[in-house]
Amino acid sequence: MNGYVAAHTLDEVLQELSADATALPVAGGTDLVVGARQGKYRLPESLVGIHAVEELAGIGIDQTGLTLGALAVHAEVVNHRVIAEQYSGLADASALVGSPATRHTGTIGGNVMNASPAMDTGAPLLVHGAEAELRSVRGSRTVSIGELWTGPGGTCAAPDELLTSVHVPAPARGAGSAYVRLGYRRAMEIAVVGAAVMVVVDDGGEVIQARVAMTALAPTIRRIPAAEEILNGQSLTEDAIACAAAAVAEAAQPIDDVRASARYRLAMAAVVTRRAIGRALSRARHTNDLPPAVSMHDFGGQL
Amino acid sequence: MTVLGTRPLRQDGREKVTGQARYTADLTLTGMATGRFLFAGRSAGRIVRIDCTEARALRGVLAVVTHEDVPAVRYGHFVRDRVLFATDVVRYEGDVVAGVAAVSDDIALKALDLIRVEYESLEPVLNPHEALSEGSRLVHVDWASYDAGDIVRDGNDCSRSTAVKGNIDQGLGEADLIVEEQYETDMSHPVPIEPHAVTAQWQGDKVTIWSTSQVPFDARSGVALTLGVPENHVRIIVPHLGGGFGGKSDFHYEAHVAVLARKARRPVRVVFTRREEFIAPDCTRHAVSIRVATGIRRDGTMTGRRARIVLDGGAYAADSPILTEVATMMAAGPYRIPHLDIEARAVYTNRTPGGSVRAPTGPQICWAVEQHTDVLAARLGMDPFEFRMRNLVEEGDEGPTRQIFEAIGVKQALQRAAELVGWGDNLSPDEGIGFSCGWWLSLPLPSGAYVKLNADGSGTITTGAQENGSGAVMGLPILAAETLGMRPEDFTVLAQDTDAGPWDMGSCGSQTTFNNGRAVVAAALEVSEQLRELAANELEAASSDIELVDGMAKVVGTSLGISVSELAAKSHDGGSLLLGRGSGDPPATPDHDASGCIGRSALGAFAAPSFFAHAARVRVDQDTGVVTVVTVGAVHDFGRVLNPTGVEGQVEGGVVNGIGIALTEGTQHDGDGLQTNPYLLNYKLPTAADAPDIRIDFVEALATAGGPFGAKGVGEPPVIGTAGAVANAIARVIGSRVYQLPMTPERVWSAALNAEQPEVS
Repeated sequence: MNGYVAAHTLDEVLQELSADATALPVAGGTDLVVGARQGKYRLPESLVGIHAVEELAGIGIDQTGLTLGALAVHAEVVNHRVIAEQYSGLADASALVGSPATRHTGTIGGNVMNASPAMDTGAPLLVHGAEAELRSVRGSRTVSIGELWTGPGGTCAAPDELLTSVHVPAPARGAGSAYVRLGYRRAMEIAVVGAAVMVVVDDGGEVIQARVAMTALAPTIRRIPAAEEILNGQSLTEDAIACAAAAVAEAAQPIDDVRASARYRLAMAAVVTRRAIGRALSRARHTNDLPPAVSMHDFGGQL
Repeated sequence: MTVLGTRPLRQDGREKVTGQARYTADLTLTGMATGRFLFAGRSAGRIVRIDCTEARALRGVLAVVTHEDVPAVRYGHFVRDRVLFATDVVRYEGDVVAGVAAVSDDIALKALDLIRVEYESLEPVLNPHEALSEGSRLVHVDWASYDAGDIVRDGNDCSRSTAVKGNIDQGLGEADLIVEEQYETDMSHPVPIEPHAVTAQWQGDKVTIWSTSQVPFDARSGVALTLGVPENHVRIIVPHLGGGFGGKSDFHYEAHVAVLARKARRPVRVVFTRREEFIAPDCTRHAVSIRVATGIRRDGTMTGRRARIVLDGGAYAADSPILTEVATMMAAGPYRIPHLDIEARAVYTNRTPGGSVRAPTGPQICWAVEQHTDVLAARLGMDPFEFRMRNLVEEGDEGPTRQIFEAIGVKQALQRAAELVGWGDNLSPDEGIGFSCGWWLSLPLPSGAYVKLNADGSGTITTGAQENGSGAVMGLPILAAETLGMRPEDFTVLAQDTDAGPWDMGSCGSQTTFNNGRAVVAAALEVSEQLRELAANELEAASSDIELVDGMAKVVGTSLGISVSELAAKSHDGGSLLLGRGSGDPPATPDHDASGCIGRSALGAFAAPSFFAHAARVRVDQDTGVVTVVTVGAVHDFGRVLNPTGVEGQVEGGVVNGIGIALTEGTQHDGDGLQTNPYLLNYKLPTAADAPDIRIDFVEALATAGGPFGAKGVGEPPVIGTAGAVANAIARVIGSRVYQLPMTPERVWSAALNAEQPEVS
C-alpha cells in the first residue's frame, strides 16, 4: 500500500476517489483488514479514511423515514429506540454483527458496500425497501438496495462513487419486521443462512403486504417473490407459513463450503424463514409476546 | 497456620491485565531483522531444485537459508524423523523449505515469492486406514533406518501400543451382550491467542533465543542437537507466554531462526500469522478413529473390552508414540473390566502432525468410550448414572495394567457432578443431562529449583519451570511460603530462562506443580534447615525445637523467637548466604504388570492418577441441531488442592475448551489434504458468550506417592470430560447418537433426522 489520506469533508473524499481509481474508502476497516489478512485480497494501493467526515455520520428520522449515515455503526443502530420499534429486523441484524468491538467499529456503509451475500443488515434493509445514495464529483444518484448488489463483493457503484447514506422509508401502519439467522456460536459469527421478513397487517390481523429476503443462500441477498405471494392476504396459518418457508428453500441456490453443506443450508432456509415470519408477525400484531429488538438480549435474532 | 488452599493474587496478574506484560513478539533488539519461512504449501512432493538466487539478490534481503545451511541431522523426541529444512521431500503443507531474513516484512515476503522450488508431485497419503494397508505409499521411505529406541513401528505405522489384561476371548465369551461401535474425530488445534514467535541473537559462538516455548529446555536440546553446539552455548528465554495448550510443546522453530540470525549477522525475529499457527507446528489434536466392543452381563457388570484406535499422526511422529500408550489407558476408562485387548496405533499421513495438545487423545477417546458407556447402559435398560456407579473403580481395584488404586474419588465426583446440574429434576423436552467420567496421569519427572532468601528477608525462587498462563509457576510461592512459615507474597519467581534455572520438562504433562512443586519444597527445606540452625544459635535452643511460623523462627512451646528477616540480615552479614536447592525425588511408577502388552516403553501405569466426572445440561434446537450448553458440573479428584483460584481457573478453561472440542472446533481439508479453515472465523472457538454456568467441586483423595502435600496433576484433566458429557446429553434429547466429533449443528441435525427409536426413554 502506498497511499493513505484521512479526509475531513465529503468533498475531499470525492476528490480523492475521483483522482485515484484504485483508492478505496475505509471507515471501520472490519471487513477490509480481516479480508486482507485472510488472503482474500491484498490491501488496496491507496485508502481514503472517511471516519472523520461528519457529513457521513449520524442517524436521522423524519416523516419520510430513516436515514442512516454511511458511518453509522451497528451499536448506534442497536441502541436507537425508533429503529428497535419500527425497523426491528434491522436492529436484530446489527445486534448480531461480530462482537461488541465490531459493533462499535463496523459501519452500515461498510457492511452494505462490502456486498457479502452473508451480511446481516442486507436482508432487513431489503425488506424495508431501503435505497442507497451514491455520490461522486459527477453528481449523486439513488439506487434501490436490491439493485446495488451485483454479486458477491460486487456493487453497481463506480470506482469514484461513495455510499453516503441509506434511506429506509417509513413503515406502513401495522408493519413489523424481523431478521433471524443461523449461526454456530453466540458471538463473532457469520450467517450460515438468514432470513428477513417484513409484514403489514390490517386491523383484523390479516397480512396485506409481505416481503421476504434471504441471506447467504444466493450470490446476493435477494427477495423471494414466491414466498411473498403466499403470505399476502393471508391470516397466516401454520400451513401458509410453512409454504412460504418452503418457497424460500425452493428459490435458494446454496453452496457447499466450510461452514455447511448445501443440503443443510437448504433445510435451514425453511427454518429461519419460518421463524422470521413468526417473529415479524408478532411484532406487527403487537401481541407483545416478543418485545422490540432493542430490549431483547444481546443476541436478538440468533437462533 | 497453613497457606495451602488460600487465595493469594498471582504475581503476573496485574502486569498482564494492565498491558505491561511483554511477550516475545513485543521485544525489539538493535538491528533486528524480520524473518519469514517458506512453507511447502502442498501435502507431498519431491524437491527437484531450490533456487534462491533471485531472492538473495533482492535489495534488503539479509539472509536466505535452506537445508544447505545446516548440518544434516535428524531430530525428534521419540523417532528421529525430521530435519529443520526440507531436503529432498516435503511431507505436509507446513514443512519448512527455506527461511528469509530481511530489513522489512514486505521485503521478506517478496523474497519468499522469489525463491523457486521445483517439485515432482507425490500422491498424498491422507487416510490413516489406507496408510496402514498393503501397498500404501510410504510417507517415510527410510523409516526403518530412523533412530527410534523401543518404539514398535512398521512402515506408515509409526507407533503401536497395547493394553492387554486377562483373556479377551474369555471376557467377551462370558458376556450376555456385546456392543460394538465406531467413533471418529476430526483434527483440532490448541489455538493459543499468541502465535509462535522466536527472536534469536548471536554473540560470539553463543546464541540467546527468546521463544514462545512451553518447553525451554527441550528447545535448547533441539537447537544444540540440530546445530551441533553444546547446550551451554544456547540460552532460551521465554518472556510472558500468551497461552500454549500444548501447541508450544516440543522443539519447534528456535533453530531455524538461530540459523537465519547467524547468516544475517543480525538479531532476527519471526512471528507466525494465524494461518501459519494452524498449519505448521506439529501439535494438532489428533484425528482419531476408535472401534470399541464391550461385553456386558445383565446384572450391569462389564466382562471385557476390545478396542482398536488409530491416531492420524500426520507427517512426523512428534509425541505420537507415547500418546498411543495414553490412548490405550483412556480407552480402558476408570471402570472395572477384567479382560482387555486394546491397541492404539499412530499412523504417518501427509497432514499436519499431531502432538501433545492439552490431555492429548483424552477428550477424543473419553468422548467415544463415554458415549459407548451410555449405550451399554441403555442396552441393559439401566440408568447411565447407576450403570457408572456400579462399574467405576475405587480403592483397591486394579487398573488396565494391574496397578492397584489407592484412595480415589471418582464415584464421589460423579455423585456430586450429578447434584450440581440438577440430575433428577424435570427438564423441558429440548433439554438433557449427560455424564462422563475419566482419569488421567500425573507424570513423575526430574525437576529443579533454587530458593534464596535475600538480606532483607524477601525470597526469590529460581526455577526452570515454565509458566504458560495456567498459574502453576505463579503458585510456587505458596509452597515455599508453606515450608518456611512465610507469606506467598514474600517470594518472587524467576522462571523459564535455561541459563538461570535447573532443568524442568516444561509446562506439559500436568507436571509443573507435581514435579517442580516438590523441587521448590525441597529447596525451601534446605533454607529452613539453615534458618533453624541460625535461630537455634541466636535463641540458645536446639534446632530441632525451632519452628518457622508467621515469618518468625520460634522455640516451640515458648514465646522466644526471632524474625526471618533478622536472621537473613545476620546470616548475610556473617558471610553465609541463605540458599537452597532441590530437585525432589520423583515418585516411582506404581507396581503393575504390563507383561502382555506391546510397546509400553514409557507409561506402564498411571502414577498418582487423577479422576473426574463431568455432567452437562444442554439444550438442543432440534430444527437446526444447534446445541447450547447450559450448565456443566465439573468435579475433580486432584488430591490436595494447593491453590484453589488456580485450579478453578484450570477447570473453567478446560470446560470451555471442551465445549469447543465438543461442538465447533474441527479442521476441514480439501481433496489435496490442505486445511481449509486455518482462520479464527471458520475454525470456531467458543466465545465468552458461549460459556455455560460452570459449577466446580473437588474430591480431595490425597496421593501418597505424588506431588507436594498429596497433590496430583491438574492442568490437563479438566479438558477431557466435557465433550463426552455433552454428547450424552444431546443423545438424550434427540434420541440418537452423533458418531463424529465435533458434533456440529449439521451433524446433530442429521443424527436427529435419523433417530428412529429413542435409545433412552
